[in-house]
Amino acid sequence: MSHKVALFSILAALIAGPAAGQTGAHFYNIDKEIRFEGTVREIVLEPRYKGTAPFLVLRVEDAGGGKRYNVEVSPSWFFGQDIHGGEKVKVVGSLSEATGSVPTIIARELQLRGETFKLRDKRGFPGWQGGPQRKRGIRRFGSF
Amino acid sequence: MMIRKMRFIIPVLLIAAVSAQGGTVYLSFIQHSTRNLFQTRDGVSDQISAFSLSINQDFSALSFLANLEYSAFRQTTGLSFFSADGGFDCLLPAGKKSAFYFAAGVAGAFYRREYAAFSSLGANLVGAFKTYLAPSSILKLQWQGVYAVYKDSLFDYWSQTASISIDKYFATRTTLKADAEWGYKYFLHPFLPEPIEPLTEPATMIATPIGMGTETGSGNGWGGQQYQGGNGFIPRTSSEDGGAGIGHVALSLLAAQGIGDVVGLSASAVQQWIITGENPFLSIEEFYLVQNPSADAFSWEGRQITGRITLNLPWSVELKAGYTYSDKTYPGVESLSLEGLPLGLVRNDLRHLFEARIEKNFRRVSIFLAYSHVDNGSSDPLFVWKSHYVMGGFEWNLPTGRKGGVS
Repeated sequence: MSHKVALFSILAALIAGPAAGQTGAHFYNIDKEIRFEGTVREIVLEPRYKGTAPFLVLRVEDAGGGKRYNVEVSPSWFFGQDIHGGEKVKVVGSLSEATGSVPTIIARELQLRGETFKLRDKRGFPGWQGGPQRKRGIRRFGSF
Repeated sequence: MMIRKMRFIIPVLLIAAVSAQGGTVYLSFIQHSTRNLFQTRDGVSDQISAFSLSINQDFSALSFLANLEYSAFRQTTGLSFFSADGGFDCLLPAGKKSAFYFAAGVAGAFYRREYAAFSSLGANLVGAFKTYLAPSSILKLQWQGVYAVYKDSLFDYWSQTASISIDKYFATRTTLKADAEWGYKYFLHPFLPEPIEPLTEPATMIATPIGMGTETGSGNGWGGQQYQGGNGFIPRTSSEDGGAGIGHVALSLLAAQGIGDVVGLSASAVQQWIITGENPFLSIEEFYLVQNPSADAFSWEGRQITGRITLNLPWSVELKAGYTYSDKTYPGVESLSLEGLPLGLVRNDLRHLFEARIEKNFRRVSIFLAYSHVDNGSSDPLFVWKSHYVMGGFEWNLPTGRKGGVS
């Protein structure tokens, strides 16, 4: 059995080698970080980056002036969380290139339903993990 | 032995972590303290230190996850275990509002000494579909299949679960959700062979008495009612080979309400019915932090009601508290007296669980402290107990991508 553990670890090391695709033009820029509050109007899955799964993108209408943003969340959140049209949301994120006339925000933090969800750390590094498969294991008292 | 394994595995995983450019690596440490490790009337205290390392890496539409964990029990050292799991998943869009999710993984848990019977290897598959029926309404379908083999083959099983859920968000900031689930677990060979010697005792007494092991290795080292060690279950004997299945259906409802920006409330209720079969073991138990294969979501019928509050406090502090009441009956499991004699009652537990957790998020590290209190009543006097559980720890998110990278 110990051989199987070792084999598994080696496979993990081998598989985790290559880098995921990244783009130079579209990245989390902490100098362009903004925060705003709005209402989710639409939820869509959209391809955002070469070499990654499609991202969950929220069309959010600013609470103040009715300005619209595309808020880029993460791929795994489509299954990991249930966000609805009409929900109030507070967004902290980096203003990125506009696609068309609507500015895009790469979300670092979302606040909705009285909970805060950290998607990236304060330097913009992603912190999400995957979908239903990640929710295995026994439930510990005190873990929510 | 375990230390030697860790010396080999941790460097390999750290190398993997460093090479996982663009991925995410988590390191966590959690310290647990309990006065009732085996969750019986005879409280056994212990402190557990749990270390884990997770790596998440995307490859196009595929995402890879590997997780290693080692839990060291200070007093009941034989229960210390090492676990590893890994797998791939992928998200396949079906239009802009719908997607399929598929995952495949393997998992192993490795125990020593008297708890070696819990050591297991398994595989699981997940398929799911989610679609927005309207912007404010979501439909989800999910299926999961699991196959696991244990060092003590009595526990070997396969299981599958299918569920469907639908929810609706209202402008009052209320979310309503309904969920239906069907599940079936099949133990491949859960029975001990009948003793060859003719027996005159009642059938329920044929099984190995509590506190004694068997020569086959099944249940070897049971600690009995003092629970100073042992894997805590009593198998049945049978003259026929073959397995035993237990199936259930469950319905659940959830209502969640947001109040301002700070407060989130939720209430949920689950009703579960066993529709086929029963538990193949005469006694089943839950151990704190240990995946006891004789007790899980398939083993009970009854109801569970939960209320929770989440407070989003200043300075990135989050406070959660919850109360859960459960009334669970375990078909096939008999209530026994403290002397080990059958009481003629199917085991039924009533539990009050209070939980609270406070978490503070720093730049790269999250720290938390959690407290739980359990008051468990049972038709089996061995399982009438109250206890506290405390845990605290941190999670460190280690970036491996370039600064500001997208993934």
